Amino acid sequence: MKITTKILSTAAFTVLSLGVNASDDSHHLHQLYQENCASCHGADHGGYLAPALNADTLKGRSPTALRSIIMTGSFDTLMPPFYGKLSDDDIRGLVKHLQSTPKQPNPAWTLEDMKKSVQVYVQDESTLPSKPTYDIDSMDNIIGVAARGKYGRGTGSKAVFINSTTHKTIGEVPTGTAAHIIEFNPANPRWAYVKTDTAEIFKIDLYSMKALRSIKTGMNGPGIGVSRDGKYIMAGSFVPHNAVILNADTLEPLKTFELEGVDPDGKMVSSDSGMIIGTPFADIFAIALENAGQVWVVDLKDGFPVTKITDVGRHLHDAFLTHGGQKLMIASYDDSIVAAIDLKERKIIKTLPAGCVPHVGGGSAVKVDGRTLGFGTNFGDCDKMVVSVWDLDKMELVKQIPVSGGTESPAAHANAPYVAVDIISKDKRARTIQLIDKKSLDVAKTLDVGGHAYFPEYSADGKFLYVSAGYNGDEVAVYNSSTFEKVASIGMESPAGIFSRGRVKYMTRGLAPDEMKGAK
Amino acid sequence: MKRLVLLLAAFLITESSYGANLFAGQSKAEAMCSQCHGLKKSSADAPFPRLFDRDFTYLQTALQQYRDKTRKSDIMNAVAGSLTDEDIDNIAAYYDNIHPSK
Repeated sequence: MKITTKILSTAAFTVLSLGVNASDDSHHLHQLYQENCASCHGADHGGYLAPALNADTLKGRSPTALRSIIMTGSFDTLMPPFYGKLSDDDIRGLVKHLQSTPKQPNPAWTLEDMKKSVQVYVQDESTLPSKPTYDIDSMDNIIGVAARGKYGRGTGSKAVFINSTTHKTIGEVPTGTAAHIIEFNPANPRWAYVKTDTAEIFKIDLYSMKALRSIKTGMNGPGIGVSRDGKYIMAGSFVPHNAVILNADTLEPLKTFELEGVDPDGKMVSSDSGMIIGTPFADIFAIALENAGQVWVVDLKDGFPVTKITDVGRHLHDAFLTHGGQKLMIASYDDSIVAAIDLKERKIIKTLPAGCVPHVGGGSAVKVDGRTLGFGTNFGDCDKMVVSVWDLDKMELVKQIPVSGGTESPAAHANAPYVAVDIISKDKRARTIQLIDKKSLDVAKTLDVGGHAYFPEYSADGKFLYVSAGYNGDEVAVYNSSTFEKVASIGMESPAGIFSRGRVKYMTRGLAPDEMKGAK
Repeated sequence: MKRLVLLLAAFLITESSYGANLFAGQSKAEAMCSQCHGLKKSSADAPFPRLFDRDFTYLQTALQQYRDKTRKSDIMNAVAGSLTDEDIDNIAAYYDNIHPSK
């Protein structure tokens, strides 16, 4: 009898502890996912920079194959190896967890949530130095690099600031998760803003190279713009489907916008936020609603009223400005066009052919022989591996230049002879940057950078070309922009986007600063 | 005589590392090693040791031992298993040559 009781109680205990273990386990695995995977694969398991990982997308996939990808990483992608970082039990557990977790519903992230997320690192900004604490001739010479960090988070994730005349690092600001976009305040050279993969925005003091404040504006999404007067920031998310206007000084959220509308096929859809841009032309923001195919123009006055421009294109993404910032050239992935929008009239002027999946990056425009030419890169590994060149005054296609693969970011400078485009096709070509002669509009040179070379950017004086040897490359390479001799290497973990402060002076990369005078 | 031997030895060492092909070494290193160990900078968050700035002979010996399974590591035995002597020399010479300025 005694024995039975003992067995029974042991059994009960075992059942109980198993139950506790199971829920502990799933909590633990959820935590592991959020801490190691979510910034790229989406907190909602719906994907972001990297594929969606949920019961649906991983159905029928071999657990052994998934486990081995987690262990060794995936070559020529941002997926790092977790061998030695996570235990084998955790990796096996994660595979099970991913294959049994459905995509989570779009979480809410309201104005109140944003308000509560504001963190202040420097309480009294009057204690900050009144000039840069390092030697620099002009703040425009600062180049900011979004260093992702090997694991997309951790000590390697930071914004790295470089003096582009000496190629020396002048400051590093840790961002917790991967830095994605760096914007500079056009009205005051000391402020910069960094947006991370997990939609935190940091306000940075470039004089002291410190983060002053941060706010979490959503779960992810790269959209961020600064108004011409430097007073407002607008940020947009993929998850959830909203955008927000912030006070650029305090990062206090002022108004949120639910992103939804009728798409070009007549369907009412909830939409990711695409590019957001402030323009030297007016006190407005333009924001692309990716899935709704609309561009909204928000006036920076009482109540922030919105003008909606509909039927712009299917799956909108990024854009650049021309004509003193009055015209916006915006790429539509699925219609293979770039649409020109007049921000004064607030209507579409023209749609232009742009290759198969146009991704204009920051865009580029150069003046050649009296014409203003716009350059548009093109994501797709398709038959049409071209960079499109448009005459921006006549709004017509000039040429589609064949390049060796898909491209995602063009760089130009008024003083540099070449427009640089990054080849991103996933083989040996990914090591290269191609250089297009501004005059002949042909590929003149191919630069072998190594790694997965992307995001070329010229220094403000046009003398140097900076390139990220991203993915498993671990340096930013600097070249003389006429001879293409390599002049410097700046080591960092998985560098991605490169942003020159010179951008605020020339609006779109490649234009001379005097192009902006007409705007003001 | 002693000098001559030293000179000869120095010559042989240089020969063994520089006879290797650095470009072939770089492309192998990028494809097979860099995912974990990096090329010119190792991750502060990664559990993997750096390979740059290491002595040629150290790298060569380690890779040979991993390949021949006289040194045990499931993952390194698998990665190094397919390397030829020439691959190993090229990779070792490549990393031996990387001296990050910082």
